[in-house]
Amino acid sequence: MNRRRFLRDLLSGAAALACTPALLRAATGNDVATGFATGLRRHPWMAGWKNMDAESLGPTAATLRGRWPKGLAGTLYRNGPARFERDGFRYSHWFDGDGMVHAWRVGERGVSHRARMVATPKYTREQAAGRFLYPAVGTTVPDARAIRNNDDANVANTSVAVIGGRLFALWEGGSAFELEPDSLVTRGPTTWREDLALAPFSAHPLRDRDGSWWNFGSISLLGGAGLLVWHLGADGRLLGATQLATEQHGYLHSFAMTDRHLVFMLMPFRFSEAGAFFERMHFAPDLPCRVAVVPKSAPDTARWFDVDFAAVYHFGDAFERDGEIHVRAVRHTDPAGASSPMAATMRGEREPAPTSGQLRTLRLDLRSGRARWQTHADHVMEFPLFDPRTPGDRPARLYAPTAVTPDVPYFNAVMSFDPERDRRQLHRYGDRVLAEEHVFVPRPGSRKPGQGWLVGTLLDADRGRSGLAVLDAEHVDDGPLAEAWLPYTFPLGFHGAFAGV
Amino acid sequence: MITRTAFAAVLFAAAGAAAAADLTVEVADIRVQSGQLKLAVVDSADGWDGKAKAVAGEALTPTGATATFRFKDLPPGTYAVQVMHDENGNGKLDTNFVGMPTEGYGFSNNPRVMRKPTWDEARFELGAYGTTVAVQLR
Repeated sequence: MNRRRFLRDLLSGAAALACTPALLRAATGNDVATGFATGLRRHPWMAGWKNMDAESLGPTAATLRGRWPKGLAGTLYRNGPARFERDGFRYSHWFDGDGMVHAWRVGERGVSHRARMVATPKYTREQAAGRFLYPAVGTTVPDARAIRNNDDANVANTSVAVIGGRLFALWEGGSAFELEPDSLVTRGPTTWREDLALAPFSAHPLRDRDGSWWNFGSISLLGGAGLLVWHLGADGRLLGATQLATEQHGYLHSFAMTDRHLVFMLMPFRFSEAGAFFERMHFAPDLPCRVAVVPKSAPDTARWFDVDFAAVYHFGDAFERDGEIHVRAVRHTDPAGASSPMAATMRGEREPAPTSGQLRTLRLDLRSGRARWQTHADHVMEFPLFDPRTPGDRPARLYAPTAVTPDVPYFNAVMSFDPERDRRQLHRYGDRVLAEEHVFVPRPGSRKPGQGWLVGTLLDADRGRSGLAVLDAEHVDDGPLAEAWLPYTFPLGFHGAFAGV
Repeated sequence: MITRTAFAAVLFAAAGAAAAADLTVEVADIRVQSGQLKLAVVDSADGWDGKAKAVAGEALTPTGATATFRFKDLPPGTYAVQVMHDENGNGKLDTNFVGMPTEGYGFSNNPRVMRKPTWDEARFELGAYGTTVAVQLR
């Protein structure tokens, strides 16, 4: 199985429409748009999922509150789905929106913001046509055209990476799109080596201590077999692209690494017949996850572990101690919800407060070959980050948005969390302020892990403003040292990266 | 827009004028104006699968987003059309390491499948008075 699976799935939704009344489908998409418009009027915080018509925003000077920390200067780049609607049709899946990349330039002289849609072939052609033309990963698009290859469906909407001074907008099913770091104008898809054109370059590359970068691409989603393991130099040149065979298919969004190993966790799923990729993919909690522990010295080899099913998008740190690998992971207990997060909000309907997304540690015993999950306190969280300077045999402190009030079904606080001792520091931004990923930025000249700042983005829809907060990572409960607010709002994003000056 | 007459007519001269029809293929969504646009017309499943010769073929250099191919005096019957855009002129449809095409291609009926369509998905009838087929390059 698996031959051309991803693309076939992308297309099969459209193919199924040939025998489905097209008008019915169109009405569904229009209903989603109408429903969301109603929801947004009732619940201003739904602006986090609103449609972005504009091709670009700014540059705009933000209004500063507090005292900007000396030494914190550079650019926070972020990416997220933003174009959800065209011609009255609204995607019903959050992951479908075309990517918009943001650049927050920060320093003692002020904070400014600009953003631009990534000019993928999909976005560019749909912009010209005035309607969605191509299949999406989570929504069945009526009358979608056949695509040439996976990059025709690439929305470059998940994350950003700055590698060797080059800025990339990342997705998980296709090429990295390079952007001009200052203007954010799209340069185009990146081909690291000619035969690797179109090869998936996932959204969570990890930087090693020597400055090189590791990443993977899921070839099985593309019709081949296994994983492609990428290794790039600190200068962004390709050091290696290795195919790692996998015995069975499995979904993975990101990975973790220790000083010696890469850890890939494949989540089992079953496919149903019709629909877009995420409509068809159903996690199979009755089957174990297969975990590959891959030596960095031989990335075409793996030691395989089985562990009880868990739906995980994001991992925190990983470390090796006493012959055991510990991998921090945010586990979701609702597999259906995990394959379409914020699905009700995308339709403008009230979402139950999040109860899923707890930290667990995946423990892989290299001597016995056994794997198990270690439980921690049940704080609801996502998008965990950490200081990569943490030694490779020690757990890192995690920094993550967390939920504290059921008023709004999203995160409205940030925490610094030590799962070993179950100690956390928390800052609440306010019941109706949405808090996003907080990126750790080391303080220049510091050496101790954890010395630095958290830079996180916020949406305060009641006051019609998107913003950014800076906290001392060692004193999160003191609240922001400074905040910067814009006179406008835009949809929430997923992931960011900080590039110092 | 470029129009060419195909050499296929010669093959079917014996069919006679009364039983001959014109096939027009309008190709749209040509993404780059370089290389060669290559079109093949087949009249059987074997032809579609490369086991029999194409009954007509033509190549042209694209000069815009659309191009028209015209094949005169084909016998009425069942046909299918494949188009490929050899954008860099190296004589083949380039693909990456798993066989994913990096250059343009298209088929009659524009089947929405991410594989080579079957003969049944791509075939169409050419009537006595001729037919125009629209192929959307992808």
